[in-house]
Amino acid sequence: MYDVVIIGSGASGGAVAYTLCKAGYKVAVLEKGRLMRREAFSKDELAYCRRDLVTPNLFDEYHTIEEKVEGKWVATPTHESGWSFWNGNIVGGSSNLMSGMFHRLHPDDFRLKSKYGAIKGANIEDWPISYDDLEPYYTLAEELVGISGHHIPHRYEPKRSTPNFSQPPTKENAVVKLLDKSCENLGFTPLVTPRAVLSKDSNGRKACYYSNLCGSYGCSSGAKGSARESLINPALATGNLTLLTNSHVKRLQSDSQDKVHAALVVDTITGKERYIKGKIFVVAAQSHESARLLLNSSNQYHPKGLGNSSGELGKNLIFSGGGAGQGELQKENLKQIKFEDLMTTGLFVNRSILDWYFIDHWWDGKFKGGSVEFMFEHQNLISRARKDNEVKGKLVWGKALGERVEKRFQEQKSIRFEIFNDWLPNDDCFVSLDPTHKDKYGMPVGKLRVEGHPQDIKVGKYIAKKCEKILVEMGAKEVYSSISSSPSTNLVAGGCRFGNNPKHSVLNKYCQSHDVKNLFVADASFMPTGGSVAYTWTIYANAFRVADHIIEQLNITKI
Amino acid sequence: MKIKRRAFLVLGSLLGLSPYLNAQVINGFQKEFKEVEKTLYAVQDHMFPEGCPLPSAQAMYMTQFLYDTMQHHSFDKDIKAFVIEGAKELQKREKGKFNTMSSKEKEKALRAYEETRYGSSWLSRIMTLSMEGMFSDPIYGSNTKEAGWKALGSYGSFPRPKTKYLES
Ligand SMILES: Cc1cc2nc3c(=O)[nH]c(=O)nc-3n(C[C@H](O)[C@H](O)[C@H](O)COP(=O)(O)OP(=O)(O)OC[C@H]3O[C@@H](n4cnc5c(N)ncnc54)[C@H](O)[C@@H]3O)c2cc1C
Ligand code: SF4
Repeated sequence: MYDVVIIGSGASGGAVAYTLCKAGYKVAVLEKGRLMRREAFSKDELAYCRRDLVTPNLFDEYHTIEEKVEGKWVATPTHESGWSFWNGNIVGGSSNLMSGMFHRLHPDDFRLKSKYGAIKGANIEDWPISYDDLEPYYTLAEELVGISGHHIPHRYEPKRSTPNFSQPPTKENAVVKLLDKSCENLGFTPLVTPRAVLSKDSNGRKACYYSNLCGSYGCSSGAKGSARESLINPALATGNLTLLTNSHVKRLQSDSQDKVHAALVVDTITGKERYIKGKIFVVAAQSHESARLLLNSSNQYHPKGLGNSSGELGKNLIFSGGGAGQGELQKENLKQIKFEDLMTTGLFVNRSILDWYFIDHWWDGKFKGGSVEFMFEHQNLISRARKDNEVKGKLVWGKALGERVEKRFQEQKSIRFEIFNDWLPNDDCFVSLDPTHKDKYGMPVGKLRVEGHPQDIKVGKYIAKKCEKILVEMGAKEVYSSISSSPSTNLVAGGCRFGNNPKHSVLNKYCQSHDVKNLFVADASFMPTGGSVAYTWTIYANAFRVADHIIEQLNITKI
Repeated sequence: MKIKRRAFLVLGSLLGLSPYLNAQVINGFQKEFKEVEKTLYAVQDHMFPEGCPLPSAQAMYMTQFLYDTMQHHSFDKDIKAFVIEGAKELQKREKGKFNTMSSKEKEKALRAYEETRYGSSWLSRIMTLSMEGMFSDPIYGSNTKEAGWKALGSYGSFPRPKTKYLES
């Protein structure tokens, strides 16, 4: 019997495992994927980005996605649409593959409803905790995960308990000179993006070597702050962690109303099933899969799903709203910096803008806005060579194709912005169980309805216009942006909201089930609203907070 | 709306629902591939001929790459079937003469095929798969001597793969 059994070894599971193992508790982490060590990662575009090396085959395990067709909701399996909601199913989860652009939430993100009022059609709720409750854990994550950066005070930059990052920012491409100047000309304030990437060696992890292929790839220096490098490895070193890989949890078993007693695990290689027992269970399978697991764990005491007396389980799933835009910096008309410097590979753009996090303008009105990240277009060769090879709807091939691709690679570089704004929780964004489709283990797959709220698009377009101006000021050509209500499949939250009222929330403020006392959900499922930045710093921080509470609980039971 | 790929692949072909695709399993993929190999090569050769800024289909062993990448168990079985069916469709449209046509005739035939939604999607798929070979790591057998990367003036990053994912 373990003290704590954790389902999922990603960002959230890793933070809980680390804290508990360091405190001397016996922990089992059940991870459906395999262990890939640092040395195993390569920059194989075909394997990582065009095949499913680190995610399940979509014919074996998939989701169904509901869309409205002629007034009716129709669910399509992702192996038909080719739309995958898997992000990384290896030890360390998606955090192995992230780009690592990290931000803290703003204090007002914790009280959106009281600050901005309700929005029609959106289920906004204040959080039961404040920024001050989470701040020490943001700081802890900064140290343990290894977040590099440089703090520049800004009206929307939340306050810090330490003056600056202990790791300086990663190296930057010369393009930042052009970007900074262009922002200055327009009266905008660029900030240095905090990044979960080490700029200096630390604790057996090597500094970033600027491999040029970061997001979607594993890191072979250990610089990226994946849960595997920063938390699971040190947890293993304590001797208190049992890491069970290729162990897919099908359901949680309860033998009484208010307790889980075992996880039913299938070995993904042999197909053999067994029970893993523990005193406390922590679900950390990434939001949409965590809700699915709890729905699949219904029993006589919990007929609507484990811990679902509120009926809220799976509801109010959220993604990251916004979109992206791009422009071409061309050799022939580049200003202020040398073309060779622009073409230097690997160095980061490292700039974000928070100026439009909240908008309070005499003409535009008062509303919650979002943040912006600047970056180069993903440096994958195949996808860059393959894009835009059409003229008037016809494929270009032969000599014309060669000339086109050559120019794209040798005479220009694409600069890009990504907008992150709140995805307003609403009644048409949730996960439930598909009534017919089952995965290869015989369990109902998650059925996702992923509709956005019109306000998200309005905000995204507002910010995109400002960012397009920046690219134009930089001298970029062919500037465009695209704002849509398509969900960001790699940034998922909600589905098990936390709150003080058990009638309206699944978890209490410590992310502990209101109904089942030894059950916790540690990933982003708890978030009633998502803020206007990527989630993962908050996921790490909150999981450390949850782990501290679990330790308190275990200490009480000891006494 | 996200396109329902399978329904589209099946209904789009003039040949209709072949028992092969209907079964959803690819038995004897090697045999099926052999039947259309020359057509696939002819199309790739037309898209990537000799004497262009990008290396040719022949020099990059693009048809062999197509076979290698599709035969792996992890490859999407719908796309695998689509590649074969689309080539058969082209053969049928051109009454079995496509492979021996002059370059001008091939251009006409492919542009006409492209007018159909099915043909346009198939040609796009062949282009994608061919480029996957030409710009992936040379370990996969295409991009020989990094000729694809040289043409771009951009190279894959390190560490490079020591084994093909196909071996797992
Ligand atoms: C390409 C990419 C780029 C990204 N870039 C950024 C970024 O720049 N900034 C940012 O903030 N975030 C980024 N993210 C998102 C970030 O990776 C996630 O927010 C974070 O990893 C989520 O943590 P998690 O613990 O919820 O899930 P994960 O880290 O995904 O871990 C969940 C784990 O649970 C396992 N699991 C699931 N179901 C089961 C089961 N039934 N049994 C056993 N194990 C199970 C999974 O295999 C997985 O390993 C990016 C993600 C991707 C994929
Ligand atoms: S070396 Fe740097 S750029 Fe490359 S994957 Fe690691 S953190 Fe990312």
